[in-house]
Amino acid sequence: MSTYLSQVWVIVWKDLVLEMRSRERIAAMGAFAVLAGVLFNFSIDTTTTRPQDVASGLIWMTLIFGGLLGVGRTFHLEAQDGALQGVLMSPAPKDAVFLAKTAANFVLLYVVSLLVLGVFGLFFGLDLGPNLGWVVVVLGLGALGFVALGTLFAAVSTGTNMGETLLPVLVFPLLVPMVIYGVGTTTRLINGRPFDEVEGNVRMLGAFALAAVAAGAVLFRYVVED
Amino acid sequence: MSTAGMRRGGTTLTLLGLLGLIALYWMAFFWVPTEVNQGVVQRIFYIHVPAAWTSFLAIGFAALASGMYLWLRDERLDRAALCAVEGGLIFATLVLTTGPLWGKIAWGTYWTWEPRLTLTLLLWFIFIGYFMVRNATEDPEKGKRFAAVVAIVGAIDIPFIHLSVVWFRSLHPEPVVARPDGPTLPGDMLVTLLFGVLVFTVLFFGLFLFRYAVEGLRAEADLRARSAA
Repeated sequence: MSTYLSQVWVIVWKDLVLEMRSRERIAAMGAFAVLAGVLFNFSIDTTTTRPQDVASGLIWMTLIFGGLLGVGRTFHLEAQDGALQGVLMSPAPKDAVFLAKTAANFVLLYVVSLLVLGVFGLFFGLDLGPNLGWVVVVLGLGALGFVALGTLFAAVSTGTNMGETLLPVLVFPLLVPMVIYGVGTTTRLINGRPFDEVEGNVRMLGAFALAAVAAGAVLFRYVVED
Repeated sequence: MSTAGMRRGGTTLTLLGLLGLIALYWMAFFWVPTEVNQGVVQRIFYIHVPAAWTSFLAIGFAALASGMYLWLRDERLDRAALCAVEGGLIFATLVLTTGPLWGKIAWGTYWTWEPRLTLTLLLWFIFIGYFMVRNATEDPEKGKRFAAVVAIVGAIDIPFIHLSVVWFRSLHPEPVVARPDGPTLPGDMLVTLLFGVLVFTVLFFGLFLFRYAVEGLRAEADLRARSAA
Protein backbone atom coordinates (compact mmCIF):
# COMPACT_ATOMS: atom_id res chain seq x y z
CA MET A 1 0.00 0.00 0.00
CA SER A 2 2.69 2.46 0.95
CA THR A 3 4.69 1.64 -2.19
CA TYR A 4 1.52 2.22 -4.23
CA LEU A 5 1.01 5.61 -2.61
CA SER A 6 4.63 6.56 -3.07
CA GLN A 7 4.42 5.58 -6.75
CA VAL A 8 1.38 7.81 -7.13
CA TRP A 9 3.11 10.58 -5.27
CA VAL A 10 6.25 10.43 -7.46
CA ILE A 11 4.20 10.98 -10.61
CA VAL A 12 2.08 13.71 -9.03
CA TRP A 13 5.22 15.46 -7.88
CA LYS A 14 6.84 15.14 -11.30
CA ASP A 15 3.80 16.67 -13.00
CA LEU A 16 3.48 19.48 -10.50
CA VAL A 17 7.20 20.34 -10.67
CA LEU A 18 6.97 20.40 -14.47
CA GLU A 19 3.99 22.67 -14.21
CA MET A 20 5.62 24.93 -11.64
CA ARG A 21 8.63 25.38 -13.91
CA SER A 22 6.86 25.78 -17.24
CA ARG A 23 3.58 27.29 -15.94
CA GLU A 24 2.25 26.35 -19.34
CA ARG A 25 -1.17 24.98 -18.49
CA ILE A 26 -1.91 26.94 -15.33
CA ALA A 27 -1.14 30.23 -17.11
CA ALA A 28 -3.40 29.33 -20.04
CA MET A 29 -6.23 28.20 -17.77
CA GLY A 30 -5.90 31.15 -15.41
CA ALA A 31 -5.79 33.72 -18.20
CA PHE A 32 -8.74 32.04 -19.88
CA ALA A 33 -10.76 32.13 -16.66
CA VAL A 34 -10.16 35.80 -15.95
CA LEU A 35 -10.76 36.87 -19.55
CA ALA A 36 -13.92 34.77 -19.75
CA GLY A 37 -15.10 36.60 -16.63
CA VAL A 38 -14.50 39.94 -18.37
CA LEU A 39 -16.37 38.84 -21.50
CA PHE A 40 -19.24 37.34 -19.50
CA ASN A 41 -19.58 40.67 -17.75
CA PHE A 42 -20.40 42.28 -21.10
CA SER A 43 -22.68 39.43 -22.10
CA ILE A 44 -25.13 40.26 -19.30
CA ASP A 45 -27.51 43.17 -19.57
CA THR A 46 -27.76 44.25 -15.93
CA THR A 47 -31.01 46.13 -16.59
CA THR A 48 -32.79 42.82 -17.27
CA THR A 49 -30.75 40.19 -15.40
CA ARG A 50 -29.26 40.19 -11.92
CA PRO A 51 -25.64 38.98 -12.21
CA GLN A 52 -26.00 36.92 -9.01
CA ASP A 53 -28.70 34.82 -10.68
CA VAL A 54 -26.49 33.65 -13.53
CA ALA A 55 -23.06 33.86 -11.88
CA SER A 56 -22.90 30.23 -10.73
CA GLY A 57 -23.73 28.92 -14.20
CA LEU A 58 -20.99 31.09 -15.66
CA ILE A 59 -18.52 29.95 -13.00
CA TRP A 60 -19.16 26.31 -13.84
CA MET A 61 -19.00 26.81 -17.60
CA THR A 62 -15.73 28.71 -17.23
CA LEU A 63 -14.43 25.85 -15.10
CA ILE A 64 -15.36 23.31 -17.76
CA PHE A 65 -13.99 25.20 -20.74
CA GLY A 66 -10.88 26.30 -18.88
CA GLY A 67 -10.48 22.79 -17.52
CA LEU A 68 -10.63 21.27 -21.00
CA LEU A 69 -7.86 23.60 -22.03
CA GLY A 70 -5.54 22.25 -19.36
CA VAL A 71 -6.74 18.65 -19.01
CA GLY A 72 -6.69 18.11 -22.78
CA ARG A 73 -2.95 18.67 -22.67
CA THR A 74 -2.32 16.19 -19.84
CA PHE A 75 -0.43 13.79 -22.06
CA HIS A 76 0.67 16.33 -24.63
CA LEU A 77 4.17 16.99 -23.33
CA GLU A 78 4.89 13.32 -22.66
CA ALA A 79 3.42 12.13 -25.96
CA GLN A 80 5.77 14.39 -27.91
CA ASP A 81 9.03 12.68 -27.10
CA GLY A 82 7.71 9.28 -26.13
CA ALA A 83 8.18 9.97 -22.42
CA LEU A 84 4.77 8.52 -21.69
CA GLN A 85 6.12 5.09 -22.59
CA GLY A 86 8.72 5.57 -19.88
CA VAL A 87 6.08 6.39 -17.29
CA LEU A 88 3.94 3.44 -18.38
CA MET A 89 6.88 1.03 -18.30
CA SER A 90 7.83 2.07 -14.79
CA PRO A 91 6.94 -0.42 -12.04
CA ALA A 92 3.92 1.72 -11.09
CA PRO A 93 0.67 -0.03 -12.04
CA LYS A 94 -1.47 1.71 -14.68
CA ASP A 95 -4.16 2.69 -12.20
CA ALA A 96 -1.53 4.42 -10.07
CA VAL A 97 -0.49 6.39 -13.16
CA PHE A 98 -4.11 7.35 -13.77
CA LEU A 99 -4.71 8.37 -10.16
CA ALA A 100 -1.52 10.42 -10.17
CA LYS A 101 -2.37 12.18 -13.42
CA THR A 102 -5.87 12.85 -12.10
CA ALA A 103 -4.52 14.17 -8.81
CA ALA A 104 -2.07 16.52 -10.54
CA ASN A 105 -4.83 17.77 -12.85
CA PHE A 106 -7.08 18.19 -9.85
CA VAL A 107 -4.57 20.42 -8.09
CA LEU A 108 -4.29 22.60 -11.21
CA LEU A 109 -8.01 22.82 -11.84
CA TYR A 110 -8.83 23.42 -8.19
CA VAL A 111 -6.42 26.33 -8.04
CA VAL A 112 -8.03 27.72 -11.19
CA SER A 113 -11.56 27.20 -9.86
CA LEU A 114 -10.74 29.10 -6.67
CA LEU A 115 -9.34 31.85 -8.87
CA VAL A 116 -12.56 31.78 -10.92
CA LEU A 117 -14.62 32.01 -7.75
CA GLY A 118 -12.61 34.97 -6.52
CA VAL A 119 -12.60 36.81 -9.84
CA PHE A 120 -16.27 36.22 -10.59
CA GLY A 121 -17.16 37.10 -7.01
CA LEU A 122 -15.41 40.40 -7.54
CA PHE A 123 -16.75 41.06 -11.05
CA PHE A 124 -20.34 40.14 -10.27
CA GLY A 125 -20.39 41.48 -6.73
CA LEU A 126 -21.26 38.15 -5.09
CA ASP A 127 -21.74 38.04 -1.34
CA LEU A 128 -21.15 34.46 -0.26
CA GLY A 129 -21.22 35.07 3.47
CA PRO A 130 -21.35 31.92 5.61
CA ASN A 131 -21.77 29.64 2.58
CA LEU A 132 -18.28 30.34 1.22
CA GLY A 133 -16.86 27.17 2.78
CA TRP A 134 -19.50 24.97 1.18
CA VAL A 135 -19.09 26.60 -2.23
CA VAL A 136 -15.37 25.82 -2.01
CA VAL A 137 -16.17 22.17 -1.18
CA VAL A 138 -18.72 21.89 -3.99
CA LEU A 139 -16.27 23.30 -6.53
CA GLY A 140 -13.72 20.76 -5.33
CA LEU A 141 -16.10 17.82 -5.81
CA GLY A 142 -17.08 19.09 -9.26
CA ALA A 143 -13.45 19.60 -10.24
CA LEU A 144 -12.60 16.06 -9.10
CA GLY A 145 -15.34 14.46 -11.21
CA PHE A 146 -14.35 16.60 -14.15
CA VAL A 147 -10.63 15.82 -14.05
CA ALA A 148 -11.28 12.09 -13.63
CA LEU A 149 -13.37 11.92 -16.81
CA GLY A 150 -11.16 14.52 -18.49
CA THR A 151 -7.93 12.65 -17.79
CA LEU A 152 -9.31 9.32 -19.03
CA PHE A 153 -10.65 10.82 -22.26
CA ALA A 154 -7.59 13.05 -22.71
CA ALA A 155 -5.64 9.80 -22.94
CA VAL A 156 -8.17 8.57 -25.50
CA SER A 157 -8.18 11.71 -27.61
CA THR A 158 -4.37 12.02 -27.52
CA GLY A 159 -4.27 8.56 -29.10
CA THR A 160 -6.55 9.54 -31.99
CA ASN A 161 -5.70 11.63 -35.00
CA MET A 162 -8.36 14.18 -34.07
CA GLY A 163 -6.45 15.08 -30.93
CA GLU A 164 -7.94 17.46 -28.39
CA THR A 165 -10.85 18.45 -30.64
CA LEU A 166 -12.42 15.09 -29.83
CA LEU A 167 -12.33 15.66 -26.07
CA PRO A 168 -15.45 17.87 -25.72
CA VAL A 169 -17.49 15.54 -27.95
CA LEU A 170 -16.72 12.66 -25.62
CA VAL A 171 -16.82 14.45 -22.28
CA PHE A 172 -19.65 16.99 -22.52
CA PRO A 173 -22.55 14.50 -22.63
CA LEU A 174 -21.06 12.70 -19.63
CA LEU A 175 -20.63 15.90 -17.64
CA VAL A 176 -24.33 16.74 -17.52
CA PRO A 177 -24.86 15.40 -13.96
CA MET A 178 -21.91 17.43 -12.70
CA VAL A 179 -23.22 20.63 -14.32
CA ILE A 180 -26.76 20.14 -13.06
CA TYR A 181 -25.86 19.31 -9.48
CA GLY A 182 -22.95 21.75 -9.36
CA VAL A 183 -24.83 24.74 -10.75
CA GLY A 184 -27.98 23.91 -8.79
CA THR A 185 -26.07 23.74 -5.53
CA THR A 186 -23.88 26.78 -6.14
CA THR A 187 -26.78 29.00 -7.22
CA ARG A 188 -28.67 28.27 -4.04
CA LEU A 189 -25.63 28.72 -1.83
CA ILE A 190 -24.77 32.02 -3.50
CA ASN A 191 -28.30 33.21 -2.87
CA GLY A 192 -27.91 32.51 0.84
CA ARG A 193 -30.03 29.36 1.10
CA PRO A 194 -29.11 27.00 3.94
CA PHE A 195 -26.84 24.02 3.26
CA ASP A 196 -29.54 21.49 4.28
CA GLU A 197 -31.45 22.36 1.14
CA VAL A 198 -28.62 21.25 -1.16
CA GLU A 199 -27.13 18.42 0.88
CA GLY A 200 -28.56 15.72 -1.42
CA ASN A 201 -27.04 17.40 -4.45
CA VAL A 202 -23.64 17.61 -2.80
CA ARG A 203 -23.81 13.89 -2.06
CA MET A 204 -24.68 13.17 -5.68
CA LEU A 205 -21.78 15.32 -6.81
CA GLY A 206 -19.51 13.30 -4.53
CA ALA A 207 -20.92 10.00 -5.80
CA PHE A 208 -20.40 11.15 -9.39
CA ALA A 209 -16.78 12.10 -8.67
CA LEU A 210 -16.11 8.76 -6.96
CA ALA A 211 -17.67 6.77 -9.81
CA ALA A 212 -15.66 8.76 -12.37
CA VAL A 213 -12.38 8.17 -10.51
CA ALA A 214 -13.12 4.45 -10.07
CA ALA A 215 -14.15 3.96 -13.72
CA GLY A 216 -11.06 5.83 -14.89
CA ALA A 217 -8.72 3.82 -12.65
CA VAL A 218 -10.11 0.54 -14.00
CA LEU A 219 -10.33 1.52 -17.68
CA PHE A 220 -7.16 3.60 -18.08
CA ARG A 221 -4.97 0.51 -18.62
CA TYR A 222 -6.98 -0.41 -21.72
CA VAL A 223 -6.52 3.07 -23.18
CA VAL A 224 -2.75 3.26 -22.86
CA GLU A 225 -1.76 -0.34 -23.59
CA ASP A 226 0.18 -1.08 -26.76
CA MET B 1 -22.77 -19.65 -34.56
CA SER B 2 -21.61 -19.74 -38.16
CA THR B 3 -22.08 -16.76 -40.45
CA ALA B 4 -24.73 -18.62 -42.42
CA GLY B 5 -26.57 -19.49 -39.21
CA MET B 6 -26.26 -15.88 -38.16
CA ARG B 7 -27.85 -14.77 -41.42
CA ARG B 8 -30.67 -17.28 -41.09
CA GLY B 9 -31.28 -16.16 -37.53
CA GLY B 10 -31.14 -12.52 -38.59
CA THR B 11 -33.59 -13.09 -41.45
CA THR B 12 -36.01 -15.00 -39.26
CA LEU B 13 -35.98 -12.47 -36.46
CA THR B 14 -36.17 -9.48 -38.80
CA LEU B 15 -39.12 -10.99 -40.68
CA LEU B 16 -40.82 -11.79 -37.40
CA GLY B 17 -40.12 -8.25 -36.26
CA LEU B 18 -41.50 -6.73 -39.47
CA LEU B 19 -44.64 -8.85 -39.31
CA GLY B 20 -44.98 -7.88 -35.68
CA LEU B 21 -44.57 -4.25 -36.69
CA ILE B 22 -47.51 -4.51 -39.09
CA ALA B 23 -49.58 -6.03 -36.31
CA LEU B 24 -48.39 -3.35 -33.90
CA TYR B 25 -49.42 -0.57 -36.29
CA TRP B 26 -52.80 -2.18 -36.73
CA MET B 27 -53.23 -2.44 -32.97
CA ALA B 28 -52.00 1.10 -32.33
CA PHE B 29 -54.21 2.66 -35.03
CA PHE B 30 -57.37 0.55 -35.01
CA TRP B 31 -57.59 -1.80 -32.09
CA VAL B 32 -56.60 0.12 -29.01
CA PRO B 33 -59.13 2.72 -27.77
CA THR B 34 -58.28 6.41 -28.06
CA GLU B 35 -56.95 7.92 -24.87
CA VAL B 36 -59.49 10.36 -23.39
CA ASN B 37 -57.29 13.30 -22.44
CA GLN B 38 -54.69 13.35 -25.20
CA GLY B 39 -56.74 12.05 -28.10
CA VAL B 40 -55.33 10.42 -31.20
CA VAL B 41 -51.82 11.81 -30.73
CA GLN B 42 -51.30 9.44 -27.81
CA ARG B 43 -51.06 6.55 -30.28
CA ILE B 44 -47.47 7.50 -31.06
CA PHE B 45 -46.72 6.24 -27.54
CA TYR B 46 -46.80 2.63 -28.79
CA ILE B 47 -43.83 3.39 -31.06
CA HIS B 48 -42.04 5.91 -28.87
CA VAL B 49 -41.77 3.90 -25.67
CA PRO B 50 -40.67 0.60 -27.28
CA ALA B 51 -38.03 2.49 -29.30
CA ALA B 52 -36.76 4.13 -26.11
CA TRP B 53 -36.64 0.78 -24.34
CA THR B 54 -34.66 -0.70 -27.25
CA SER B 55 -32.10 2.13 -27.36
CA PHE B 56 -31.36 1.69 -23.65
CA LEU B 57 -31.20 -2.07 -24.10
CA ALA B 58 -28.63 -1.38 -26.84
CA ILE B 59 -26.30 0.71 -24.67
CA GLY B 60 -26.47 -1.89 -21.91
CA PHE B 61 -25.74 -4.68 -24.37
CA ALA B 62 -22.94 -2.66 -26.01
CA ALA B 63 -21.33 -1.88 -22.64
CA LEU B 64 -21.51 -5.53 -21.62
CA ALA B 65 -19.98 -6.70 -24.91
CA SER B 66 -17.34 -3.95 -24.67
CA GLY B 67 -16.37 -4.95 -21.15
CA MET B 68 -16.08 -8.59 -22.22
CA TYR B 69 -14.04 -7.49 -25.25
CA LEU B 70 -11.52 -5.62 -23.10
CA TRP B 71 -11.26 -8.69 -20.92
CA LEU B 72 -11.20 -11.55 -23.48
CA ARG B 73 -10.07 -9.68 -26.62
CA ASP B 74 -12.35 -11.68 -28.85
CA GLU B 75 -13.03 -9.77 -32.08
CA ARG B 76 -16.60 -11.07 -32.10
CA LEU B 77 -17.38 -9.23 -28.88
CA ASP B 78 -16.17 -5.97 -30.38
CA ARG B 79 -18.31 -6.57 -33.48
CA ALA B 80 -21.30 -7.28 -31.24
CA ALA B 81 -20.78 -3.99 -29.40
CA LEU B 82 -20.46 -2.08 -32.68
CA CYS B 83 -23.65 -3.58 -34.08
CA ALA B 84 -25.55 -2.93 -30.85
CA VAL B 85 -24.46 0.72 -30.89
CA GLU B 86 -25.57 1.07 -34.51
CA GLY B 87 -28.97 -0.38 -33.65
CA GLY B 88 -29.17 1.80 -30.56
CA LEU B 89 -28.41 4.90 -32.60
CA ILE B 90 -31.28 4.12 -34.98
CA PHE B 91 -33.79 3.53 -32.21
CA ALA B 92 -32.61 6.57 -30.24
CA THR B 93 -33.12 8.65 -33.41
CA LEU B 94 -36.63 7.21 -33.59
CA VAL B 95 -37.28 8.33 -30.01
CA LEU B 96 -35.94 11.79 -30.76
CA THR B 97 -38.23 12.18 -33.78
CA THR B 98 -41.43 10.72 -32.32
CA GLY B 99 -40.99 12.56 -28.99
CA PRO B 100 -41.02 16.10 -30.43
CA LEU B 101 -43.88 15.21 -32.83
CA TRP B 102 -45.98 14.23 -29.85
CA GLY B 103 -44.65 17.09 -27.77
CA LYS B 104 -45.69 19.71 -30.31
CA ILE B 105 -49.32 18.71 -29.85
CA ALA B 106 -49.37 17.65 -26.22
CA TRP B 107 -46.99 20.24 -24.77
CA GLY B 108 -47.26 22.87 -27.50
CA THR B 109 -43.55 22.80 -28.19
CA TYR B 110 -41.21 20.54 -30.16
CA TRP B 111 -38.45 20.57 -27.65
CA THR B 112 -38.31 20.95 -23.92
CA TRP B 113 -35.57 19.96 -21.53
CA GLU B 114 -37.70 17.21 -20.20
CA PRO B 115 -35.64 14.56 -18.34
CA ARG B 116 -36.27 11.47 -20.42
CA LEU B 117 -36.02 13.34 -23.70
CA THR B 118 -32.78 14.94 -22.50
CA LEU B 119 -31.45 11.57 -21.40
CA THR B 120 -32.13 10.08 -24.82
CA LEU B 121 -30.47 13.03 -26.53
CA LEU B 122 -27.36 12.55 -24.41
CA LEU B 123 -27.43 8.82 -25.09
CA TRP B 124 -27.55 9.70 -28.78
CA PHE B 125 -24.44 11.86 -28.36
CA ILE B 126 -22.67 9.05 -26.52
CA PHE B 127 -23.43 6.73 -29.46
CA ILE B 128 -22.05 9.38 -31.85
CA GLY B 129 -18.91 9.70 -29.72
CA TYR B 130 -18.49 5.92 -29.95
CA PHE B 131 -18.32 6.09 -33.75
CA MET B 132 -16.11 9.18 -33.82
CA VAL B 133 -13.51 7.59 -31.55
CA ARG B 134 -13.63 4.34 -33.45
CA ASN B 135 -12.93 6.00 -36.77
CA ALA B 136 -10.33 8.48 -35.55
CA THR B 137 -7.42 6.11 -34.98
CA GLU B 138 -4.90 4.82 -37.47
CA ASP B 139 -4.58 1.53 -35.66
CA PRO B 140 -8.01 -0.17 -35.73
CA GLU B 141 -7.23 -2.19 -32.58
CA LYS B 142 -6.75 1.04 -30.67
CA GLY B 143 -10.04 2.39 -32.02
CA LYS B 144 -11.82 -0.71 -30.77
CA ARG B 145 -10.40 -0.33 -27.28
CA PHE B 146 -11.18 3.39 -27.15
CA ALA B 147 -14.73 2.81 -28.37
CA ALA B 148 -15.21 0.09 -25.74
CA VAL B 149 -14.15 2.55 -23.03
CA VAL B 150 -16.65 5.11 -24.36
CA ALA B 151 -19.49 2.56 -24.28
CA ILE B 152 -18.66 1.42 -20.74
CA VAL B 153 -18.27 4.90 -19.25
CA GLY B 154 -21.43 5.97 -21.08
CA ALA B 155 -23.42 3.12 -19.57
CA ILE B 156 -22.08 3.88 -16.07
CA ASP B 157 -22.96 7.54 -16.51
CA ILE B 158 -26.54 6.93 -17.70
CA PRO B 159 -28.02 6.46 -14.19
CA PHE B 160 -26.33 9.66 -13.00
CA ILE B 161 -27.60 11.59 -16.01
CA HIS B 162 -31.05 10.16 -15.40
CA LEU B 163 -31.16 11.19 -11.73
CA SER B 164 -29.78 14.63 -12.45
CA VAL B 165 -32.10 15.50 -15.33
CA VAL B 166 -35.09 14.28 -13.33
CA TRP B 167 -34.04 16.52 -10.51
CA PHE B 168 -33.55 19.37 -12.98
CA ARG B 169 -37.05 19.35 -14.42
CA SER B 170 -39.96 17.05 -15.06
CA LEU B 171 -42.76 17.63 -17.59
CA HIS B 172 -42.87 14.15 -19.08
CA PRO B 173 -45.88 11.97 -18.33
CA GLU B 174 -45.08 9.83 -15.33
CA PRO B 175 -44.28 6.16 -15.95
CA VAL B 176 -47.47 4.18 -16.47
CA VAL B 177 -46.09 0.65 -16.40
CA ALA B 178 -42.98 0.28 -14.25
CA ARG B 179 -44.43 1.65 -11.02
CA PRO B 180 -44.07 0.27 -7.52
CA ASP B 181 -47.89 -0.02 -7.19
CA GLY B 182 -48.40 -1.80 -10.51
CA PRO B 183 -49.31 -0.46 -13.95
CA THR B 184 -51.98 2.26 -14.18
CA LEU B 185 -52.44 1.80 -17.91
CA PRO B 186 -55.80 0.30 -18.96
CA GLY B 187 -55.63 -3.31 -20.20
CA ASP B 188 -55.83 -2.82 -23.98
CA MET B 189 -53.24 -0.06 -23.95
CA LEU B 190 -50.92 -2.09 -21.76
CA VAL B 191 -51.21 -5.07 -24.10
CA THR B 192 -50.43 -2.89 -27.13
CA LEU B 193 -47.46 -1.31 -25.39
CA LEU B 194 -45.99 -4.59 -24.21
CA PHE B 195 -46.51 -6.06 -27.66
CA GLY B 196 -44.68 -3.03 -29.06
CA VAL B 197 -41.77 -3.59 -26.70
CA LEU B 198 -41.61 -7.24 -27.75
CA VAL B 199 -41.73 -6.38 -31.48
CA PHE B 200 -39.03 -3.73 -31.20
CA THR B 201 -36.80 -6.04 -29.18
CA VAL B 202 -37.18 -8.82 -31.76
CA LEU B 203 -36.54 -6.34 -34.58
CA PHE B 204 -33.47 -5.01 -32.78
CA PHE B 205 -31.96 -8.47 -32.43
CA GLY B 206 -32.88 -9.33 -36.03
CA LEU B 207 -31.12 -6.24 -37.38
CA PHE B 208 -28.32 -6.85 -34.93
CA LEU B 209 -27.69 -10.38 -36.23
CA PHE B 210 -27.78 -9.12 -39.81
CA ARG B 211 -25.22 -6.44 -39.11
CA TYR B 212 -23.17 -8.87 -37.08
CA ALA B 213 -23.03 -11.33 -39.98
CA VAL B 214 -21.98 -8.52 -42.33
CA GLU B 215 -19.19 -7.47 -39.96
CA GLY B 216 -18.05 -11.08 -39.75
CA LEU B 217 -17.88 -11.30 -43.55
CA ARG B 218 -16.01 -8.02 -43.71
CA ALA B 219 -13.43 -9.26 -41.20
CA GLU B 220 -13.05 -12.45 -43.22
CA ALA B 221 -12.64 -10.49 -46.47
CA ASP B 222 -10.01 -8.28 -44.82
CA LEU B 223 -8.15 -11.36 -43.68
CA ARG B 224 -8.20 -12.89 -47.17
CA ALA B 225 -7.12 -9.64 -48.80
CA ARG B 226 -4.22 -9.41 -46.38
CA SER B 227 -3.09 -13.01 -46.85
CA ALA B 228 -3.35 -12.62 -50.64
CA ALA B 229 -1.22 -9.48 -50.60
